[in-house]
Amino acid sequence: MVGDTANLTRELGLRLLRKLREIRQFEERIIPLYPTDVMVTPVHLHIGQEAVPVGVCDHLRPKDLLFFGHRTHGPALAKGLDMNRLMAELFGRTTGCANSFGGSMHLVDPDNGMLGSSALVGGGIALGVGAALAAKLEKRDQFCVSWFGDGAVDSGAFWESLNFAALKAVPVMFVCEDNGLSNVMEKKDHMFADITEVAGHFMEVWRADGTDVHSVWSAAGQALRHIRESGKPAFLWCRTKRWMKHQGVETDDLECNPVDREKDCPIKKLEKAMKARNLASDKELDEITQGIEAQLNAALEFAKKSPFPTEDLLMTEV
Amino acid sequence: MPWSRFDQTSTATLDALPASANRRVISFKDAMREAIDQAMNNDPRVFAIGLDADDKFGVFGSMLNLSHPERVIGTPVSENAMTGVALGAALNGMRPIYIHLRVDFMLLAMDQIANYIAKWRYMTRGKVKVPIVIRTVIGRGWGCGAQHSQTLGGMFAHFPGLKVVMPSDPYEAKGLFLAAVKDDWPVIFIEHRWLYKNTGAVPEEMYVLPVGKGRVVCPGKQLTLVATSLAVVDSLNAISKHELDVELIDPRWLKPLDEDLILNSVRKTGRLLVIDYDFPACGFAAEVCAMVAEKGSQFLKSPVQRMTFPDCPMPASGVLEKAYYPNADKIAERIRGILNGS
Repeated sequence: MVGDTANLTRELGLRLLRKLREIRQFEERIIPLYPTDVMVTPVHLHIGQEAVPVGVCDHLRPKDLLFFGHRTHGPALAKGLDMNRLMAELFGRTTGCANSFGGSMHLVDPDNGMLGSSALVGGGIALGVGAALAAKLEKRDQFCVSWFGDGAVDSGAFWESLNFAALKAVPVMFVCEDNGLSNVMEKKDHMFADITEVAGHFMEVWRADGTDVHSVWSAAGQALRHIRESGKPAFLWCRTKRWMKHQGVETDDLECNPVDREKDCPIKKLEKAMKARNLASDKELDEITQGIEAQLNAALEFAKKSPFPTEDLLMTEV
Repeated sequence: MPWSRFDQTSTATLDALPASANRRVISFKDAMREAIDQAMNNDPRVFAIGLDADDKFGVFGSMLNLSHPERVIGTPVSENAMTGVALGAALNGMRPIYIHLRVDFMLLAMDQIANYIAKWRYMTRGKVKVPIVIRTVIGRGWGCGAQHSQTLGGMFAHFPGLKVVMPSDPYEAKGLFLAAVKDDWPVIFIEHRWLYKNTGAVPEEMYVLPVGKGRVVCPGKQLTLVATSLAVVDSLNAISKHELDVELIDPRWLKPLDEDLILNSVRKTGRLLVIDYDFPACGFAAEVCAMVAEKGSQFLKSPVQRMTFPDCPMPASGVLEKAYYPNADKIAERIRGILNGS
């Protein structure tokens, strides 16, 4: 595992914390609203896993590309999607990032390096490889990241992608956000091999604690440096915890997935580390929380006031 | 944009070109090779990828001695992810040409083709473009059997978001291929291998044929015959050998379909026969027949008809192949039957 909070700076800590909280509070805001059907779209909440997108995306510039799957809110917010446009998309309004045509699982924001996301497990991994191949052919300074969970590792597309990236030296970063679950299936029931061990036959692997944002941040930084220096792919594995059910807004209750909301919380971990080293005061941390609450209030207002699509749009872009 | 350099769209068939136009005669295979080479020379974002794309046989000769071999990428037998790689590259600004030596292998990539490529523009509201051409070679005979002889054009046309085109001669192949590469939508480009050695006049310069526009191959009065790809050649042979007065329409594009061209012809002839070298159920011939039945029933003197493969997989035995596949004589016989009211 990579990561040592000794070199955590105040600036970095606050930046990461703000993003962790953005994702957490956004998702928590959905929970009471969801049963009222103001959002009619399947949501896959990122609560508990925030450290992975935040730790990775802190290294990425808007022009760097991120391809992700059905659990979209975390990576999208971490990569820079505007909260208003995400909320409006969940509300099915034309001001949403996909103008209401995507829903929660299909977000798009080209200006921030998100060229679409897929709800089908596995196939999206190949898209990041293709994007990185384009960057290589065009000799561009651009990182491309394929993001997926441990369930996607079962798919043929995963192995095909790993093999091709290694064979052709495609400078892509694979990020496995391993929450130990494929929907409700425990990892030992869905993947025979140790993911990092097998991936290690194809490329360099970095292992991080996916509940610790600084661990992810450090490992991602090293992996990206390796990609830049070697021109080869890299694999970042982050073991994390899913607090909620696969889909929807209920707390997960699987026996195989015990969660300790103190020890497994990326926000509490970071806040504790920062306070221990006097990098931030309680007041400052509270201000971050309140600031995001205000942003969320505005995002909800924005979404509610935005128009629904009209029927004449049905057969466009096809 | 490099593509503006040859933005003129040719709406004529080659026979209608002025006599001064280039009448150089080359094969279908060489027309494809020239189109691919010119597309890659014209635009550095164009690259080719696929199983055996870079092998010494050059995809049945259609990709031999290209000017930019560094942009020809051979892949492992990993059709699904490799199609996703092409999509990712397209989203990131490239214009990939994916090549399959046999359409049957495209079924391995159907997750990417049907779930990703076909839907990406709709799901993203066109905020990203998907300029991919998937070339696939189809063929038959020599005992190739059930897994090496399919066509599947109608199946691809089933998915909203895909365009499907099937050229029938060298001039068409080059103009339609360049149109496909120029297009910002995914295009499935289906080439029949039996056409590869056929020759015809092909201009040396780049040109595109219009998307979604078919052509009248030969005019006639008694029946409208709709055919694509190799079926156009067999139909022409049937017409000349048996001296039939039928109008042969090559829609070129299964999707978008040139409905007006077909309906205008049926308005004149009052009869329709669709020749589709593909499985019948829910297929392209059924689609054309349904379209004419819905929109042109007032013109019809007799019910719409189709001629397809039988509703079973391809056999390997030569005897059974002969029974399985349509040909010029079978087409002529069918036309005579319709005209005689039987």
